[in-house]
Amino acid sequence: MSYVAKPGGASSTKRAPKPSLLSREGLHIFLARWRHSGFAYVFNILLTVVIALTIWSLISSLITNPGRYLPSPFVVALSSVDVFYKGLLPAYYGNTLTRLVLGSILGLSLGVPFGLLLGLNRTVSDMFYPIMNFFQSVSGIAIFPIIMIWWGNSEKTVFIVILYTCFFPIAFNALSGVRGVPLTYVNAALTLGASPFQVVKDVLLPGAMPNIATGTRLGIGFAWRAVIAGEMLVGREGLGWMIFTARSADLTAQIILGMVTIGVTWIILDHYLLRPFERSTIEKWGLVLR
Amino acid sequence: MGAGAEMSIQSTGGPSVHSSDAANFFQRAAIAVQRRIGRQRIRAFLLGSIPFVAILSIWFLNDIFVWRQTYEIPSMKAVVKSFFHLQRNCPGIIGLLTMDRACGMTNHIFDSISRMLLAAVIGLPVGIGLGVLAGMNRTISKLVEPIAIFFNSISGIAWIPLAIVWFGIGWMTTLFIILNTVVWLMFFNAMLGVRSIAKVYEQSVATMGGSRWNIITDVYLPGAMPSIMTGLRMSMGFGWRALIAAEMIGGDSGLGFMIFSAAAEFRIELVFLGVILISLIWMATDRFLFVPLERWTVERWGLVWKPS
Repeated sequence: MSYVAKPGGASSTKRAPKPSLLSREGLHIFLARWRHSGFAYVFNILLTVVIALTIWSLISSLITNPGRYLPSPFVVALSSVDVFYKGLLPAYYGNTLTRLVLGSILGLSLGVPFGLLLGLNRTVSDMFYPIMNFFQSVSGIAIFPIIMIWWGNSEKTVFIVILYTCFFPIAFNALSGVRGVPLTYVNAALTLGASPFQVVKDVLLPGAMPNIATGTRLGIGFAWRAVIAGEMLVGREGLGWMIFTARSADLTAQIILGMVTIGVTWIILDHYLLRPFERSTIEKWGLVLR
Repeated sequence: MGAGAEMSIQSTGGPSVHSSDAANFFQRAAIAVQRRIGRQRIRAFLLGSIPFVAILSIWFLNDIFVWRQTYEIPSMKAVVKSFFHLQRNCPGIIGLLTMDRACGMTNHIFDSISRMLLAAVIGLPVGIGLGVLAGMNRTISKLVEPIAIFFNSISGIAWIPLAIVWFGIGWMTTLFIILNTVVWLMFFNAMLGVRSIAKVYEQSVATMGGSRWNIITDVYLPGAMPSIMTGLRMSMGFGWRALIAAEMIGGDSGLGFMIFSAAAEFRIELVFLGVILISLIWMATDRFLFVPLERWTVERWGLVWKPS
């Protein structure tokens, strides 16, 4: 054994002796512990970020007109100070998030009941399945011009497009989730004397839950894209609008700042809210025998 | 269609031969069609077409009753006419194929589709290659994955302003936006596909004297194929959406550009035509190319034994 025992403490505790970094085994143990600790994860991300920032600033110092094409990270950080000081970024950020949250709540509260209702009856669900599939695959951005002609350059236009983009994936997935519940379960519940409401509450809704979660994540993802595109096309104040006007004002640093904000926001939303929600839902409800 | 239509037709088929040949022919034809396609499929098709027929007939009736003005909802005739209106000076099929400037409509369609194809030709190998590399090697994946997550989270649309600054308005911008959407999605799917392959396979190929390259071509790529095909379908779907948005804001041709500029001129029949074409092109490609491809791949390579 090349472990060096702690002076005095070895007899009193049952813990493994602390390995010395100097020996080879100790180093291996240390590395293994390091790899499994949370620090390694954070360190890894930090390392990647540092490498990426270095490459970025290298490129921006090598090209001819960095202020126009690719400002260095430092300049971008400086521009964020400017935008914060003027209060533009917080206001725009709030606008964009409000649109997303309101739109997706509306989409969820309309889409899930709609999908469930259509799924209740086999004939009705067979009837509406193709058309829901059709509307799900027609992208919301493509119908933007039509909505713009109908409702003009207003807040309503953005909202309707967000609602359209997240309603159909959610409703379609809820519908296909209900269709996927085996009839045996419904019949079993009915045989045991369940009312139709109980069948919906205890059989169909839990059975469709994994699909609803997937649809929610998909729908909110589409809605996020639609918010950004909508702000650009219609011209309402928000992050998309910020990067779009920054282009015409020749403020490339502000464009990159906006993009980084959009990316970080979506990472946080997707990885720490939607994905855990989907995973836990599937773990809880998805392992039903089919 | 009654519940036991086929049975009743067959039982009464014998005596009716003498009475009328024509009716007998139709009955036989109906039975043949049902046998060939399947009753369930016919039922699903008929039921599924009801909402489409309803929407189309409401649209058609709008011409007569004018619930909404024609500048809000154009007449069907105008939509069809607008297609030929843009094509009116087109010098025949040769001009159509050589993308003559007079053939406005088909040029827009070809532009969009060729951008998509170009992005697929460039983006798929890059994405799959990066993904297989990252799936093979932990160090590479640790470095590339955070970057990929970040770039995938900046949706393609958010790149449009910067792409316009870099490449100007036109081909390069739209291509860049689609590539951005396609490459990262393919990367993730290929990486996850490679990671899901059991170690036993690569070890056995290595034991039998296979080189690194053999392992890639014979183990990693076939093993990751179902996942790659799912990624292909998904990335093409997202790419098509991103293409439309990119053409609207930073393009000078293509279907997205067409509908956006038509909306600015309040030519709603052209907008309707464009939206219908966009959705039809995507649905047809998905239905007749990607879905069969995915199904075939899963059948061919998806049921590989996995040690538990």
